[in-house]
Amino acid sequence: MKKKIVCTLCPIGCELEVEIQEGKVVSVEGSLCERGVKYAKDEIENPTRCISSSIPVRGGKRYETVSVKTSSAIPKDKIFDVMNKIKKIQLKAPIKLGDIIIKNVLNLNVDIAATRNIEKDKSK
Amino acid sequence: MKYDRFVDLVVIGGGPAGLSTAISAKKNGIDDILLLERELCLGGILNQCIHDGFGLHLFKENLTGPEYAQKQIDELKTLNISYLTDAMVINLTKSKELEFIHRTGHKLIKAKAVILAMGCRERTRFNIQIPGTRPSGIYTAGTAQNLVNLQNIKIGKNILILGSGDIGLIMARRLTLEGMNIAGVYEIMSYTAGLERNIQQCLNDYSIPLFLSSTVTEIFGKGRIEGVNIGKVDKDLKPITHSERFVKCDTLLLSVGLIPENELSKKAGVKITDFTGGAVVDSELQTNIEGIFSCGNVLQIHDLADYASLEAKRAGYFAARYIKSKQKRYNRYKINFCEKIKYASPNYIVENKEAIIVSFRIKKPAKNVVLIVKDRENNILVKKKFIRLLPSELIQIKLEREVKSDIYLEIE
Amino acid sequence: MCKNPYDVIIIGAGVVGCACGRELSKYKLNVAVLEKNTDVSEGISKGNSGVVHAGFYVPYGTLKARTNVEGFFAIPKLAAELNFPYKKIGKLVISNDKYGLTELKRLKEAGDKNGCIGLEIITEKQISHIEPKVKAKYALFSKETAIISPYLFTIALVENALKNGVDFFLNHEVIKIWKDKEFFVQTKKDTFHSKWLINAAGLYSDKISCLAGDKNHKIFPCRGEYLVTDKDNEKIINRMIYPIPPKDGASLGVHITPTTDGNILIGPSAEFINNYGLENTKQFLNEMKEDAFKMVPELKRLPIIRTYSGIRPKLIYAKTKKDFRDFVIEESKTVPKLINIIGIESPGLAAAPAIANLVLNIIGNKENLNKNEQFDAYDPKKPDFQSLSVEEKKELIKKNPDFGEIICRCETITKGELLNAINNPLGVKTLDGIKRRCRAGMGRCQGGFCTPRTIKILRKEYGIKEKDILKNENNSNLFFGKIKE
Repeated sequence: MKKKIVCTLCPIGCELEVEIQEGKVVSVEGSLCERGVKYAKDEIENPTRCISSSIPVRGGKRYETVSVKTSSAIPKDKIFDVMNKIKKIQLKAPIKLGDIIIKNVLNLNVDIAATRNIEKDKSK
Repeated sequence: MKYDRFVDLVVIGGGPAGLSTAISAKKNGIDDILLLERELCLGGILNQCIHDGFGLHLFKENLTGPEYAQKQIDELKTLNISYLTDAMVINLTKSKELEFIHRTGHKLIKAKAVILAMGCRERTRFNIQIPGTRPSGIYTAGTAQNLVNLQNIKIGKNILILGSGDIGLIMARRLTLEGMNIAGVYEIMSYTAGLERNIQQCLNDYSIPLFLSSTVTEIFGKGRIEGVNIGKVDKDLKPITHSERFVKCDTLLLSVGLIPENELSKKAGVKITDFTGGAVVDSELQTNIEGIFSCGNVLQIHDLADYASLEAKRAGYFAARYIKSKQKRYNRYKINFCEKIKYASPNYIVENKEAIIVSFRIKKPAKNVVLIVKDRENNILVKKKFIRLLPSELIQIKLEREVKSDIYLEIE
Repeated sequence: MCKNPYDVIIIGAGVVGCACGRELSKYKLNVAVLEKNTDVSEGISKGNSGVVHAGFYVPYGTLKARTNVEGFFAIPKLAAELNFPYKKIGKLVISNDKYGLTELKRLKEAGDKNGCIGLEIITEKQISHIEPKVKAKYALFSKETAIISPYLFTIALVENALKNGVDFFLNHEVIKIWKDKEFFVQTKKDTFHSKWLINAAGLYSDKISCLAGDKNHKIFPCRGEYLVTDKDNEKIINRMIYPIPPKDGASLGVHITPTTDGNILIGPSAEFINNYGLENTKQFLNEMKEDAFKMVPELKRLPIIRTYSGIRPKLIYAKTKKDFRDFVIEESKTVPKLINIIGIESPGLAAAPAIANLVLNIIGNKENLNKNEQFDAYDPKKPDFQSLSVEEKKELIKKNPDFGEIICRCETITKGELLNAINNPLGVKTLDGIKRRCRAGMGRCQGGFCTPRTIKILRKEYGIKEKDILKNENNSNLFFGKIKE
């Protein structure tokens, strides 16, 4: 099977023609550099993505939510499973950027980490 | 006039450009800086951009918007640069007097130099005059991003997106992840306005349909929006008769372009060019008003926050040099460009010894083309091959050689 | 507080109904105003040019002429009492040919006869002197024609009427009316009764008259679309610029009207429709721009920031000017003590105070009216931050730091002004209601930046739930609730 994908590693955006057999990449054409070949292999054989979301926070100064992300890429087919885990969480201020919100989510060896500092609102 | 304060440099705006330019000016020897931000937090639009993809150029790592902002804020604080949030500049004059208001009062300050870094706003349905009713449920993508990411608000259930700008694409993914349905992304042009990476990772990953050469021709609904008519357009963007079909939706998101926010600049007499909606600047990012500089999205719309920050860094350097030397401005050469190019920035070149960065955007997608930069004597200053050029990409080139005449950008 | 039974019930809280309410509050009368919408000034009163016409468009001897000229003189006094924006900027009706000149002379004669003041025919040189961007050979210069904010005018009347004891009931659509000595008026929420019934239901006044038993009226809705430009900071024009009115008599022609906030309106179109739809159409938006740019080419430079439309309550499907129909302001011939106010199109905004006076006289002829000794004609000016001097700004922020926090950057609207708007005495909390009262969201970004801030204040400081926040009418909810509970 042949598939066309565009490499997104740099703005050139090489249009790659990938030959796939039984889920494995056999050949990649159209790439200007070696990185494109690896990109195609990863995209076809084991696509991964970083995802982000935001979680409601109580008692925060200026913010009502804290933004979070996966600490590294997760398999593409696990995105919605991870989102479902994130959806169940409620947090309280203070929170520091980098705080682990969920450790080793779904045993993927990836954490959900805060990407923003939330100070505690002392006026309340 | 009685001034509340004299300052060497005032930076207006605390987003990716403002933070970067203040940091750069400080590093280049200006100690007396005041940065004014109109929102409650520093970071500008980065605060609501919770997705990753930031920082690859500036920090050489993949960061989310808030992380990128935090890095800049940390540096600003380490460098002891003074700033004020929730401070809105309401007037700016030619002689660099600024009026701003804050909960602590109304202040009048006089600066030696001012850097404009106010960013941009989104084009609305009225700017593009979409006919129909005026119900609720119509948001610009950035406003929706704020409501969804920062206020946890469910803005819709079945959302149609007009325009394939990056914020629109990012929101398509965001809303899908948060459980809302995207009825489709519609783009009037025959190519997308957003980055290729976003087409793949925001639309294709989630099987969100993208319709090119299609636009919203009418809005329906009383109270809340109930749907829109979608019409196809020909290659001159003229609607094709009888191509209209009704598409149901309860929310319409618009990602149809950004407009630099130059209302304040105009008050100071800064000249604006129709090509970008940004200031006319020279290669030192100085406007026609001496001592007023412009950078980031208020100068020209950048594809990446990184590029806005990098441009701002240069503005900070030049503003610092201006303050220290009070140097007179040299003769300037013009930058001209061929009709295949939408615009080039800066507009002028200051007689120079150092490298000049010129950015430009192409009008229509092109493949296997050569950019040639010539001077008046037809000497080739730069010749660069591009396998693919897209209107969605702001291309930057460096002129290393000293320029001694007007230059001309040509695409072959 | 409900003072059922009432002496007078007014149906419709547009400018006419509210002017009547305020006028009647000068007397010892129990008055209620019933309004079907979530706010006042939601119908004809908001979708117009905001002009206080001098009175030269209307034929001598008609109610239109009489109420227009009377209202024209009454409005500046009201503006001084109630502090709504009023600017006497003047108007030019322009023409380039001899036929036009004849028409201009005819308009001037009509105006002079009606009792208008400040009318003068001027020519090219004088025109280019006062309006350099307008190219025309002849013009009727009406020095006294003024502009107001039509909804702030209505809101000012309401707030003063409220203060003087008039009850307002929003979200009360009238569904049934019957008479058994007195009037019984059933709304979707409650039943009211009164001695007198004033029908000021605007577009729906034919239907209300019908419900009350007088079937002699019919309204033909005629839509007018508008475009709004960004602020005209360079003062491309300073006065209203009008063409010679078209021959069909349905409208005054597409004109160019500055607003009290500094924007410019282009429009309206005139299109008879068979519903009450407020759509904008591509055809008319484009045609109106063309018409306006012919009169003032430089207007092209101003970006369009908004479009809207309004509907005229025509009493005839007009074809020619001969098909003139006057305002109906009378006690119904078939239902005693029902006062019908029907067909109040242009110059209704200017005429509203005079219409209220006529209504008062109709009631006064049959009732003994006693003056309300407590009547307070004045309402203090609410702070308008942008218009203050530096010293006043400093003082205001010192007194209340909320005036040092900008919510709407395009219009420079402070949190203090926003809170004043949210705390309006009618209790309106819709986004459009707040916008009209303080201009937050009315600027070039159309609420892109301030909507999230306003929403946060409504949620956090007023405890309104996401799903309950309305744009304007019922069912115009902005949100579906929270994403994560």
